[in-house]
Amino acid sequence: MAKYIVKRILTMIVMIFVISFVIFVALQNTGVDPVAQSLGVDNYSAETAAAIREKLGLNDPLIVQFFRWWGNIFKGDFGYSIANGYSIKDGVLAKWPATLEITLWALVISTIIGIGVGMLSAFWQNSIIDYLGRAIAVLGNSMPEYFFALVLIQIFSIKLGLLPSAGRIPVEGSRIPNLILPIAALAIPLCGNLMRYTRNTMLDVANQEYVKLARSKGIPEWKVYFKHIFRNSMRPVITILLFRLTILVGGSVAVETVFAWPGVGIVLTQAITASDYPVVMFYTLFMAVMMLSISFLIDLLGAVIDPRVRLEK
Amino acid sequence: MENNNKTNTIENARKYGTKLWKKKVRKFLNNKLAVFGLSVVLIYILLMVLAPVVTPWDPLEPNFKVKLAGPSAEHLLGCDSLGRDLFSRVLYGGRTSVLIAVISSLIGSAIGTVLGAIGGYFGGIFDKLLVRLQEIVSCFPQLILVLIVVAFIGTGTWNLIIIFALTGWTGCFRLVRSEFIARKEETYVKVCEAFGMSSVKIMFSQILPAVLTTVIVQLTMNIPGYVMQEAGLSFLGFGVPMTVPTWGTMLNAAKATNILINYPHCWLVPGAAICLFVLAVNFFGDGLRDVMDPRQQ
Repeated sequence: MAKYIVKRILTMIVMIFVISFVIFVALQNTGVDPVAQSLGVDNYSAETAAAIREKLGLNDPLIVQFFRWWGNIFKGDFGYSIANGYSIKDGVLAKWPATLEITLWALVISTIIGIGVGMLSAFWQNSIIDYLGRAIAVLGNSMPEYFFALVLIQIFSIKLGLLPSAGRIPVEGSRIPNLILPIAALAIPLCGNLMRYTRNTMLDVANQEYVKLARSKGIPEWKVYFKHIFRNSMRPVITILLFRLTILVGGSVAVETVFAWPGVGIVLTQAITASDYPVVMFYTLFMAVMMLSISFLIDLLGAVIDPRVRLEK
Repeated sequence: MENNNKTNTIENARKYGTKLWKKKVRKFLNNKLAVFGLSVVLIYILLMVLAPVVTPWDPLEPNFKVKLAGPSAEHLLGCDSLGRDLFSRVLYGGRTSVLIAVISSLIGSAIGTVLGAIGGYFGGIFDKLLVRLQEIVSCFPQLILVLIVVAFIGTGTWNLIIIFALTGWTGCFRLVRSEFIARKEETYVKVCEAFGMSSVKIMFSQILPAVLTTVIVQLTMNIPGYVMQEAGLSFLGFGVPMTVPTWGTMLNAAKATNILINYPHCWLVPGAAICLFVLAVNFFGDGLRDVMDPRQQ
């Protein structure tokens, strides 16, 4: 087991290195000159540009620059935005809590409702709750979240005047009303998929031989349901949920835009509009590290749950 | 006598083939949602192809007299902020949106199929690398991944298609790979190998046809995702240029606060067009999968 973990961690480090190198090289070939960009048209002259280039070490070979960039990252220096000159560490990471606030809630709420309704609709198949759950799932699947967000604003902010349509911190009063619509816009599409998935896995498991065996042994129905069906169908569901953790880092770009929510998604869209490559690069690296950690977590969990995986590696 | 037997077998096979085909069609027609999906998709296609006949209005021609007008007999779905007819824009814009989605899906599926075939058939280190790559690509929230690639390649219709194809091959890859892993152990493949048939020929003329239905279903199911992504990107301002009408750029054009609040028809129309189309293709795809998947027989 220890050997397996060490091997996985080593692969992960290598992959982060490879990904960062690809990003780094891609960055060099975008055709945007960061020095000219940061100087602006008014201050630009060939001499100052050359001086800055020399000072920043931009004339060194690519590989030297690459390792210097990594060295800086280890020192906690992530570089600066070309467009606004803010330090990336503060600029991007400081916005993360705002994103987390809506994405985390959306994940928690959608998980509870999704699994709950999914279970119920597997239990009472073809009941009203089953049809309702399926309708929501279908709707959530076919509605882009930003369009859904617009509809929510139209109904709850404009027509009914109940909830604020934008912003994170109101001038006065509680912040909770500001949270409701963005979280709903994120959570409902997530809910739908999870419902359908939970329902189908549970029905699959319910048709397995060992469930029939348990029933024929005379084990009470509720016990069959929780001990045999529910527990065994949660494994694939948990995998799905783990994959969803990436939403925490940036699954809310479109929703943030609609609700003028000051999170990392807005930072990213602004950075792309302004060709602010250091920011995009940092963001990508941040995402990649998150993704790989999650996939590591999933593998690890798989190995813990299922001994066959452990033996194979 | 022998010859007679042979024709009999062929005839039987043919008869059985048509029977199976008929059975499949009947099964599909029994699925109400799938039939609904197919009908809606066909209506969409018909309207989009016949757009010049269906609507007299030019999707690009501004007319300030009817700026932001609501639906009327003349302009069925109303007009946008420049007085362009929304119905006409939905039809002409739909052409671009759907075409982008279909082309991307075709290219993406082709990439996924070829890589999946190679990875599944040969295995080894190349396969391992592909699986890792697939893992990373499919883990990223789709919109973020596309946005990052947009940052490096730039926007524009063709760039969008390239980006979609580069980020959307993973579903097909997974399916085709696992099918190839399962099928390469089967007797008919072993026989071909023993006869000395080349690997490429075995992969693409022996195994692939058996997998093709799965690929077609996956290809269909990918289309709605691309339609939504195109719209999402264009809505954020990173997709198709604003001068080209698509469902996404129509949504983007309605993003101004004033229009959002006071003239909801401007964004409801393209939004509803997207939803209905996506819904229909999803229903159709589900039905298609039920019919085509051999495990369901």
